[in-house]
Amino acid sequence: MSPIDKKRQADLQIIARWVQSGERVLDLGCGRGVLLEYLKQKKSIYGVGVDIDFDKILSCVKRGVPAYQGDIRSILATFPDGSFDRVIFSRTIEQLDDPDAVIAEGLRVGRRVTVGFVNRGFWVNRMNAFLKGCHTINEVYTKPWYESAPSNQFSISEFESFCHAQKIIIENRVCLAGDWRSECALLPNLLAGYAIYDIASSD
Amino acid sequence: MNDSEPAPLIPEEGEVGFVDFQDFVSAEPFRFVSGGTIPELRLRYETYGHLNAAKDNAILICHALSGDHHCAGVHGIEERKQGWWNFMVGPGKPIDTTRYFVICSNVLGGCQGSSGPGSINPETGKRYQLDFPKLTVQDMVQAQSLLIDSFGVDRLHAVIGGSMGGMQTLQWAIDFPDRVGRYIALASGARHTAQAIAFNDTGRQAIISDPAWKQGAYDPDQGPDQGLAVARMMAHITYLSDVGMESKFGRRRRNADESKEHFDVEFEVESYLRYQGASFVSRFDANTYLYLTKALDRFDLHSPDSLDATLSVVTAPGLVVGFTSDWLYPPQGNREIVEALLRLGKDATYAELAMDFGHDSFLVRAPKLYELIHHFLAR
Repeated sequence: MSPIDKKRQADLQIIARWVQSGERVLDLGCGRGVLLEYLKQKKSIYGVGVDIDFDKILSCVKRGVPAYQGDIRSILATFPDGSFDRVIFSRTIEQLDDPDAVIAEGLRVGRRVTVGFVNRGFWVNRMNAFLKGCHTINEVYTKPWYESAPSNQFSISEFESFCHAQKIIIENRVCLAGDWRSECALLPNLLAGYAIYDIASSD
Repeated sequence: MNDSEPAPLIPEEGEVGFVDFQDFVSAEPFRFVSGGTIPELRLRYETYGHLNAAKDNAILICHALSGDHHCAGVHGIEERKQGWWNFMVGPGKPIDTTRYFVICSNVLGGCQGSSGPGSINPETGKRYQLDFPKLTVQDMVQAQSLLIDSFGVDRLHAVIGGSMGGMQTLQWAIDFPDRVGRYIALASGARHTAQAIAFNDTGRQAIISDPAWKQGAYDPDQGPDQGLAVARMMAHITYLSDVGMESKFGRRRRNADESKEHFDVEFEVESYLRYQGASFVSRFDANTYLYLTKALDRFDLHSPDSLDATLSVVTAPGLVVGFTSDWLYPPQGNREIVEALLRLGKDATYAELAMDFGHDSFLVRAPKLYELIHHFLAR
């Protein structure tokens, strides 16, 4: 497993810690279904993955994970309020249009929403922009701008101000250091490479 | 996410080779949902592979409107044409006959050896023609269940089908939840759109308005061939896509001979469709076409209450596959089935393949479809 693949599994254990056994989980932007497979094994959840890419759905089928190929907003709209115990966005929010509207939909469909994201405020991720005024390329942002998909990166403090402004309750937070393994309690916006939140609607 | 997996290994493939059909006969009267009955039920079928001792490796394949029980192999050395799903069924293929016992039957109401409007009523010694009871997809599935009983199989490993076969597959999952291990419905839907009904009825009207139809009481050798051929030509267009037709035919001309009659075949696409119409007439019964299309138009999983209510009894894991260029049974109609199943908390997967072959995409050999079916059956 390459270092970046290992990093990708960073939120697996943390999310598994938060998930109650037997929960109903909707993983939006589920990729190959690794997280859901893990949660199924560890916590006997009922999980459904959503991804836009056929090859990802095929990988979910190989893992025995139910999956839906399609648009995240369209599928969310088909679910009644509170259909799932948990809706997960693991490195997905960055890829979406109108993140505020999608998060609101996630909070409607799930009793709780889990968001995992790369912290844009991490000092390493600031360096290129700060020193050269250019696109960040490092272990996490691997490709030059002309090979990258549009991505809407944000920082821990931006996410928390968003939650505050939207009256979203932050129930749990784990910030991980640059290695995405050890927890980082000090100045997370500057020193944490990755963050995972459990949030819930206040109404 | 930007993760990837190594390319899969496709196992060595073989062929099922020579096959023969068989006839299942149930001497009991068969009752239709409409209340009508026939004194005996006949289904023509083929099987491939071997039923294991536990009798838990059987897969039922349900065919589409113009298909039949012959889905793999060849009937004889002279036969050039293989079964309609030959690329999918065989040793080492996704529906692997070294692992599974595969059953495919000509549908009830069909015209390839099963009881249908063109078959002989043993009580009268005459063809049923329009005395054949009103037919539904539920009746087709009920009849198949008797065939499955005859093998001593309680529970099928899987039921699979595309188009009309996909509808039967869904009906199996609804009517016999305890007997279906998993199901795969390809290029189907919960009900016909207005457009699909419109096309079907235009086809039916082509048959009915052919004087040779004679209120369905035609002699099989003098049937409404013109009407049936036109119905088939039009339906065939709905099975393809504009992009697919453009790349296959474009505006290519059959030949440059300008001296021919004005309305003779001029373009390749005309030649192709006329051939499709003519060859269909030689193997298909017009009344069966009327009965089957009507059964499809009436099929409606949204009724009597709602799609969710109908699907609430399903227990088996399901895979529904839509095709981007299918405008007869469009992706949205496939997707809504899985959306309902997921609302109900069922184990269901929706996959969508970008292929240019329109509705018929499920009949085209494509590595991705191949892999998808292989893995879903193995899970």
